Amino acid sequence: MTLWFVRGLRRGVVTTRYPARPDASARYLPTPPAFRPDQLTGRAADRLARLCPSRALRRDGGVLVFDVGACTACGRCQAAAGPAMAASHEFELAATDRSVLIKRIPLRGEAR
Amino acid sequence: MTAVGPRPAAGEVTAFQVAARDLEEVTHALADDLRLADMFASEADTSGPTVLRLVWANDALPEPCYVVTETQIEGDKYPALSDITPAAFVEECEIYEQFGIRPEGGKPLNRMMLPPHADLPTLGRKPPGEPEEIRAPHTVGGQAFEFPFGPVRQAGVESLYYGLVTSGEEVVDVYLFTWHKHRGLEWRLKGTTPREASFLAERAEGLSAVAQGLAFARAVENATDTEPPQEADNARNVALELERLYNHAAAMAALCQSTGLSVGQSAAEIALERLLRLNARAFGHRYLFGVVQPGGASSAPDSGAIRADLPGAYAEFRRTAAALLRTNSFVDRLEATGIVTADQARALGLVGPVAHAAITATGDALARFNVMLEEAAESVALIGEFLDAGTAAGAAQVPATSGAGLGWARSPRGEALAWVSLDTDGRITRARLRPASARNWRGFDDACRSHNVFTDVPIIEASFWLTAAGMAR
Repeated sequence: MTLWFVRGLRRGVVTTRYPARPDASARYLPTPPAFRPDQLTGRAADRLARLCPSRALRRDGGVLVFDVGACTACGRCQAAAGPAMAASHEFELAATDRSVLIKRIPLRGEAR
Repeated sequence: MTAVGPRPAAGEVTAFQVAARDLEEVTHALADDLRLADMFASEADTSGPTVLRLVWANDALPEPCYVVTETQIEGDKYPALSDITPAAFVEECEIYEQFGIRPEGGKPLNRMMLPPHADLPTLGRKPPGEPEEIRAPHTVGGQAFEFPFGPVRQAGVESLYYGLVTSGEEVVDVYLFTWHKHRGLEWRLKGTTPREASFLAERAEGLSAVAQGLAFARAVENATDTEPPQEADNARNVALELERLYNHAAAMAALCQSTGLSVGQSAAEIALERLLRLNARAFGHRYLFGVVQPGGASSAPDSGAIRADLPGAYAEFRRTAAALLRTNSFVDRLEATGIVTADQARALGLVGPVAHAAITATGDALARFNVMLEEAAESVALIGEFLDAGTAAGAAQVPATSGAGLGWARSPRGEALAWVSLDTDGRITRARLRPASARNWRGFDDACRSHNVFTDVPIIEASFWLTAAGMAR
């Protein structure tokens, strides 16, 4: 046990109180997409909905419905959508109300 | 026997058609020299015959080499292959649940994959009757009782039910329910393109996302005669070894938890966290999802990040392991605990550190831990070699064509396999995913019964380092 006591003293505290500061490693994490409605057409939305492997995206008339809770941040949509979306860099996504995680993104040139 | 083709990568996989009447004799002959690595069925339609495939591995060669036998089963019975090679029993049960055919002789077949009363879709014809429930009565013979443990457990985050039959201290018997986590993955893969399917394939066992994804990708590549770019293949191999490193660090932390060594657990988890952060920095994902794709790799590693951070993270890992091996209260709990003999490992077709420790060493939890440490050192060396050889993102175009192929990769838990058949549009007609966990859980009950007490079971589970997801799929 002495071994582990000495090791612990030598190593010191390695944890931080959450959320003292964003950890540097967070910038490498995959995050859900953030959409730019002014660049997102209905055609692009249909393509993205077909592409999404976890069915986090679906078209509802002139709106793209994005279920952030179903998104795995796999990046397939971001690779296909070009400037219409980018990584959100948001990973603190916990919510007490499920509906908060459902985003409705208006599509350019589509009636809602 | 007649060779069927075309076959990928001549010399690595050899496929034969075997008539049903010859299957018993051929299995006897192959079981003498080869290890039964997998067994699965498929059918073109529910009115046609079921095709039974046995995958045999030749472990005597330095590189993986497989023999696949294909047998058309007319009717609903085939020879009882688990009487010849016990490694076949789990798959006999699974095939009964999924295709409704069973081995001759009427032996009871246990529930393996499909939860009771759920009426989930199957891969083929529904079985004529429900599989046997292996649940023991809660009192056994007056001297022992069954201790139900799970499926929600404090120690493991996955749903897994243990039926522990104990006389109070000694483990008399143990059985598992692994079907709580069944997700019907092989059923979901039908009709998808390989690119779509790879998303689910790597999620069959999240802790082997790279290995299972790579086995699947190689199966597709072999089925379509696709050659991945060398530098992309090197990138996949770097991810594969990083996956092994973080898994072995996680296993070390789990071993500390199971032996009540909380300070050691924290030390191991520091190493684990450094390795996970390295994964994120190198490939953009802590658990390395999305790196492998059929035909190549979606991303290349940041070699500068790996060269900068890996030595420190691995030094943390080594220091913790060395300290644990000098801690009597840790070593004593692992020594002679959960022994798997070499004969058991061979008979059950076990793979990875569990099999290696059984065949080359004492087969106890300590031997498995030592194998993991050796593998970790090997992984660090291999990562350097692959980086030196050059890595890049990129993929060869996978043609939309028919074919069938077997793929494999060495996961942290041992050999991961995948087999696919594609229709003329290049869509999947049958995909078989066989993570290493699907092999090694069948050795777990033998390990628990080998003169162990109740509190040894978590140690044995940590030293096996398996997943319920990989079994349940």
